[in-house]
Amino acid sequence: MLKLFKKPKDKIPKSEIITEPKEPKTPPVSKCGKPLQLDNSRWEASIHPSRRLHKELMSLIKEPPPGSYRGHRKRTAKLIRVSTDYGAEWKINIKGFEGTLYEGEDFQLLFKFNNKYPFDSPEVTFIGSNIPVHPHVYSNGHICLSILTEDWSPALSVQSVCLSIASMLSSCREKKRPPDNTLYVKTCNKNPKKTKWWYHGAYS
Amino acid sequence: MESFKQNDGNRDELIIQQQREIEKEISDTTPLVSEQLPLTCLWTEYNGDDIFTAKIQDLSTKYKFIRRTRPDGNCFFRAFAYSYLEYLISNSSAYQEFRKLAEESKDKLVQLGFPSFTLEDFHETFMEVIKRVSPDNPGGQSKVQSELHKIFNEQGYSDYVVVYLRLITSGKLQEEADFYQNFIEGDFTIEEFRHQEVEPMYKESDHIHIIALCTALGAGVRVEYLDRGEGGTVKAHDFPEGTEPRIYLIYRPGHYDILYPN
Repeated sequence: MLKLFKKPKDKIPKSEIITEPKEPKTPPVSKCGKPLQLDNSRWEASIHPSRRLHKELMSLIKEPPPGSYRGHRKRTAKLIRVSTDYGAEWKINIKGFEGTLYEGEDFQLLFKFNNKYPFDSPEVTFIGSNIPVHPHVYSNGHICLSILTEDWSPALSVQSVCLSIASMLSSCREKKRPPDNTLYVKTCNKNPKKTKWWYHGAYS
Repeated sequence: MESFKQNDGNRDELIIQQQREIEKEISDTTPLVSEQLPLTCLWTEYNGDDIFTAKIQDLSTKYKFIRRTRPDGNCFFRAFAYSYLEYLISNSSAYQEFRKLAEESKDKLVQLGFPSFTLEDFHETFMEVIKRVSPDNPGGQSKVQSELHKIFNEQGYSDYVVVYLRLITSGKLQEEADFYQNFIEGDFTIEEFRHQEVEPMYKESDHIHIIALCTALGAGVRVEYLDRGEGGTVKAHDFPEGTEPRIYLIYRPGHYDILYPN
């Protein structure tokens, strides 16, 4: 099992969060010149997915993630930037902790939310030029982490996912790819949620 | 080797696609909570099966109606909530007591370590549902009753209620971890069990879920077990033992529905 919310031993890095306010955009215009309407019907499966996402965003901005959900005030995650509309995709930058194998590295996570969020888990992958070399991160950015599929609970949030991933990285002792990386990356679906994951025991 | 792996990837996708199709078929054909149906509608399901026919006969001497819930893994929680609120609609003092308990439950869960941010969201909706089915609402009991039915068939509200009950259950397991640890098979810790078998949606409920939830809310449940076991009669279990039941459920392997006593 992954030990969630593991506290780093000595130094507790400060977390910061910088939001990139989106420039007010003119509404997208379709070819025939009419403004495109947002399709709200996608949201009907749940009452508040967009409200919940909005709340999550506000909370990420206001309150950088604390070290654990047991109410510690100590912060262990460096969550740098949220750039988003309140839409279904967020990009979140995270930084490797000081004192870990990933110190000084920057990573980017892509969160995709479907219309059943928070009942369905978000689809979360690493994107960009730096995919962390880690036994549970494939070189295509897919992450083998049980809370992203079968152990997802609606009581979890973007914040708690970021923390889990950050602590997964922090507890790593040797930088290496998963043993089946080459085959998996060649054959897997684009959406990691379509993989039937076989969760490994201890993170090492 | 490679072609085998390739097939493996496709097979994953096929399995998941098939699961989605089954889920869709279920959600298209079964409402989250059905209307009240005569208990005898169970006959048709077990046509010609002697054991079940005898047991349904036995059951029908005690119960008149059944209300089906969608078999989506949340059936126990949904049936529990529906049936208990239905009881509370007709019992004002119990309703007030429960409302107070529900109101205070959030702080308790936060104290137990649940993330207040997501919890607040679920608690808010849970309280909204409870307020909407108050016995004192204008229009009288029958109007409140139909409001309850409407709410529970709106996926958003219905699922929010399920989530909140799952969290209450999980909280109880944590609060009395020493006790509940005895009921967990295998190498699971209480912590793992809560995160993997209680908090996620669509995970089916076992006795341990039922006991924890009933105890947390002080609500008695009687479960009638309809299975292939011997005896010709349906066996009932009360949770917590010795409590007067307010909620009546029928269990058939893998699924809970609501019962209405004569």
